[in-house]
Amino acid sequence: MTEQLRELEARALAGVASAATPEEVEAIRVDVLGRKGRLAAISREMGKVPPEERGLIGKLLNQAKTSIEAAIAGREDAFEQEKLARRLDAEWLDLTLPPPGVRPGSLHPLTRIQREIEDLFVSLGFTVLDGPEVESEYNNFDALNIPPDHPARDMQDTFWLENGMLLRTHTSPVQVRGMQTLPLPLRMIAPGRVFRNEEVDASHEHTFYQLEGMMVDREVSVAHLIYFMKTLLAGIFKRDVTVRLRPGYFPFVEPGFELDIQCLICGGSGCPVCKQSGWVELLPCGLVHPNVLRLGGIDPGEWSGFAFGLGLTRLVMMRYGIDDIRQLQGGDLRFLRQF
Amino acid sequence: MKFSYNWLCELAGVRALDAAAMGRLITVHTAECEGVEPWGAHFAEVRAARVVSVEPMAGHHRKAVIDTGSGTRTVVCGAPNCREGIVSAWVPPGTALGSRHIETADVGGVTSEGMLASGAELGISRDHAGIVEIEAAPGEPIPGCRPDSIIEIDNKSLTHRPDLWGHHGMAREVAALAGGQLQEPADTGRIPSGAPLVRVRIEDYALCPRYSALVFENVTVGPSPLWLQARLESLGLNPINNIVDVTNYVMAELAQPMHAFDAAKLAGGTIFVRPARDGETCAALNGETYTLNPSNLVIADGSGAVAIAGVIGGMESSITGATTRIVLESANFHAAGIRKTSSRLKLRTDASMRFEKSQDPANTVRALARAIALLEQVSPGIRLAGGLADDARPAAEPIVLELPLEWLGRKLGATVEPERVRAILEALRFEVSSIGEGVLRVTVPSWRATKDITIKDDLVEEVGRMIGYSSITPTPPRVATAPPRVNERRGFHHAVRQAVAAQGFNEVYNYSFVSEQEMARFGRNPGDHLAVTNPIAAGQGHLRISLLPGLHRNIVENAKHAVSFRLFEIGYEIHKGAEVRETPHMAAAIYAKDSGEQSLFELKRLALGLMPGSETSPCEARAHEHPARVAEVRWKGSVVGRLFELHPRLVEAGRAAVLDLDLAVVESLREETRKYKPVRRFPASEFDLSVVADARDLSATIEARIREHGGSHLENIEFLRVFTGPPLPEGCKSLSYRLTMAASGHTLSGPELTGIREKLLEGLRAAGYELRA
Ligand SMILES: [Zn+2]
Repeated sequence: MTEQLRELEARALAGVASAATPEEVEAIRVDVLGRKGRLAAISREMGKVPPEERGLIGKLLNQAKTSIEAAIAGREDAFEQEKLARRLDAEWLDLTLPPPGVRPGSLHPLTRIQREIEDLFVSLGFTVLDGPEVESEYNNFDALNIPPDHPARDMQDTFWLENGMLLRTHTSPVQVRGMQTLPLPLRMIAPGRVFRNEEVDASHEHTFYQLEGMMVDREVSVAHLIYFMKTLLAGIFKRDVTVRLRPGYFPFVEPGFELDIQCLICGGSGCPVCKQSGWVELLPCGLVHPNVLRLGGIDPGEWSGFAFGLGLTRLVMMRYGIDDIRQLQGGDLRFLRQF
Repeated sequence: MKFSYNWLCELAGVRALDAAAMGRLITVHTAECEGVEPWGAHFAEVRAARVVSVEPMAGHHRKAVIDTGSGTRTVVCGAPNCREGIVSAWVPPGTALGSRHIETADVGGVTSEGMLASGAELGISRDHAGIVEIEAAPGEPIPGCRPDSIIEIDNKSLTHRPDLWGHHGMAREVAALAGGQLQEPADTGRIPSGAPLVRVRIEDYALCPRYSALVFENVTVGPSPLWLQARLESLGLNPINNIVDVTNYVMAELAQPMHAFDAAKLAGGTIFVRPARDGETCAALNGETYTLNPSNLVIADGSGAVAIAGVIGGMESSITGATTRIVLESANFHAAGIRKTSSRLKLRTDASMRFEKSQDPANTVRALARAIALLEQVSPGIRLAGGLADDARPAAEPIVLELPLEWLGRKLGATVEPERVRAILEALRFEVSSIGEGVLRVTVPSWRATKDITIKDDLVEEVGRMIGYSSITPTPPRVATAPPRVNERRGFHHAVRQAVAAQGFNEVYNYSFVSEQEMARFGRNPGDHLAVTNPIAAGQGHLRISLLPGLHRNIVENAKHAVSFRLFEIGYEIHKGAEVRETPHMAAAIYAKDSGEQSLFELKRLALGLMPGSETSPCEARAHEHPARVAEVRWKGSVVGRLFELHPRLVEAGRAAVLDLDLAVVESLREETRKYKPVRRFPASEFDLSVVADARDLSATIEARIREHGGSHLENIEFLRVFTGPPLPEGCKSLSYRLTMAASGHTLSGPELTGIREKLLEGLRAAGYELRA
């Protein structure tokens, strides 16, 4: 009987090991372990075994059952694993395919640059102001020390409106609003759309974007202005820039400057971008004219300030290498999708 | 404005400063130099040569043997005036003459060694008729003609500097910067005394602060000498005749425009400076006849206008070959008046450009003195007749400023030694004296006092620019730190941009202008729009009151090369009225070549993302809207915009859905009002419901009914689907919803749920809806 048990166990284990399908394993289980199976048959014959051998046979019987059960469980588990592996493999996906649905949208390059520069200024303690596109002649000119017969008005070809107002020719009128509404000392910028009555070509637009900046404090000097502009431009260009101030005439500042930066393309040695001069004209700036402070309700004896104007459209064109200004307001997706 | 480098060097008394360096110096300290171009480089090579003999050749050509001072040469010449004995300009082989390279060449079998040149070929006059005839010995350079450089200065940077519209003014700067000895070209001692032969009557000194004139007789009119023609030509001024050329030369030198009248053509002995009569005409030197009005100032004789003051002279009294007696005008006019006349007549001249900058009244007589010397040079035998006619209002008191040096240092952020400040101002011809501790008393010279320098801040610029701003050390400002005031509106607009772009929309920027055709397409009239009185082009005459025309243009244009796309713009509508209102809007569009439904619902989803809980309710369609696909967008009870499909008439192929939101209203509603509700602890129950309704019944209406009859435990209504077709009758649809029921304090029991359901079904049936199992 011992022999018989051993042989049964060995055969069952071999059968399980070689089973190719879960069904074959099940057949072995029923044949060997089932209620009417072989082990059950052997155990039914225990009565015929001499009592002194029963302990040993019983033990062998249990061992055989346990080992066959373990083998079956192991084999079944292997089949499960295989099945899962096959299923998962069948679920293979090509993740290099583009996603269904719409493609990502984009922000206009002018939006991008405005946000970037606004963030920079806010971090430097500046308030961002808005002003209207339709302005009064007073705010656009008179309050900026440009009286009606001033030749500077020729420098800015103006769109006039039927109600006597105009489309602002610069963001500078927001200075006036800033001086009237913000507490002193003040630091403000005003980005926005401005208009000039000019023929449009690849480098001229009648509609473009500027950013006006102003700081008024107890004591503001040319040295402060230069420091500030350098800091600002380093922030914009994300590198140190060499700047040069030279005289520039703007009626709302005195003294007034044109600020040039050393050409970022050639580093100052001269190239087509800087017309071989090594310098690129970037922004007009200056100390706020006492008349402008006065018209803004600020005592020029007590306060002084600087102001500057940054051409956002020009900056965008420099940043992205855009060679035709008309693209910016052309609405062409082939352009817009690049940003 | 063009400056001759040679001339500046002469006047400024500087040497050893090349033209490029002078350009840079001017840029950094005075005004923007736009470029330095060589002029007349060939005069280094061109030499005087005497024509020794002339032999005719075939055609118009002649073979000339010339004495070049360094041997004889043979040249072929076509000029009619090429004759034995004259001295002309010989261009040797190997010389570049503008873009031409002159070489030894075979002409009709004769070897021509270089050429004899006309004034036009040499670039010193407009004369093509023949070769130049000069007085010089063979081998000498051409008198008055030498290589020069032209320094081009940006006019805009001279706007505030009347003095820099002449070489002498710029030379003053150069002399101050480079340490030269400024030369004074005018000798006012030459002004004759005695009674003038012409009388001047100025009607309004505000418009004409000064009018000075001299009479000359025994005048010979003819071409100017070459040096004078060459100088004018190099500056882009057209040589005309010796008299006119002198006036232009003085203008280029001293910034004082002048005008010469033929005295014989002036009626009466008095020159009147007066406003034009209404409708008075003036036939000007440029061949045009201008009709004037009293806003224009004229120079008139006894019979009428003979010049438009400060702008242009009249044809009738102009200098001709027959002129023997002239009246030379040197006047000063009010800048704004000249500017107005010049822009009204659309006529900008060298004179008007200068007068617009507020010229110095003290300069008129100085210019006349200079002209006397020049006229004597170019018109031998010319004589002054009578004394100076000079009508003027009393000269303005000099401007005297007090300049505290400590204050100057604070403005610049740099300390400048008092001696240095003084030296700088004196080099620029300010009078400086010291008054008390650290304060200078500065008298402004007349040519800087007309507008340019009026307050001490203007002196900060003078000192700053002369020391050079690069000598100022950048210094961090000491400022109080405080968080800046936040611009909520801007932040909101940026957030909307970000959100919309994240949904696949590309941002566009459109113009603020709208054409009449575009407004008509959107059912609007020109009268609804604020009009531009001086539009740059047809179609840009009005300001937009809607972003839609622009967006429509984008759709039509992009549809030419894209199958489907999404666009949006955030911009301002500009509405006319007693107060102009600028309203920020966000307009988004989806274009696709499909049935258009999906696009509308995508936009609705966008609206819900921006405004949770917003609703769309049917409304009357406008001209540009699809009449059956339009809704008002409402949020928190307010209308915030519209959702619609563009009328198919406006979109050729495909369809375009649009969401147009008033961002001002949206922003005002966006205050966060929600409050946390505790999360439900007991499970909910769901059941589905299908409601049969008329095909055009609104889902929103049915949902409202469900809510009305669903009782207090109805937690959520989820739309599942819409169904049409058999077995439903024609004109009907079935809308299916999944309802969620829950109580906050317990689990709803079976009988409770049945009760709720029965009540709901009963309510819906009573409202006229059929229910599908
Ligand atoms: Zn460069």
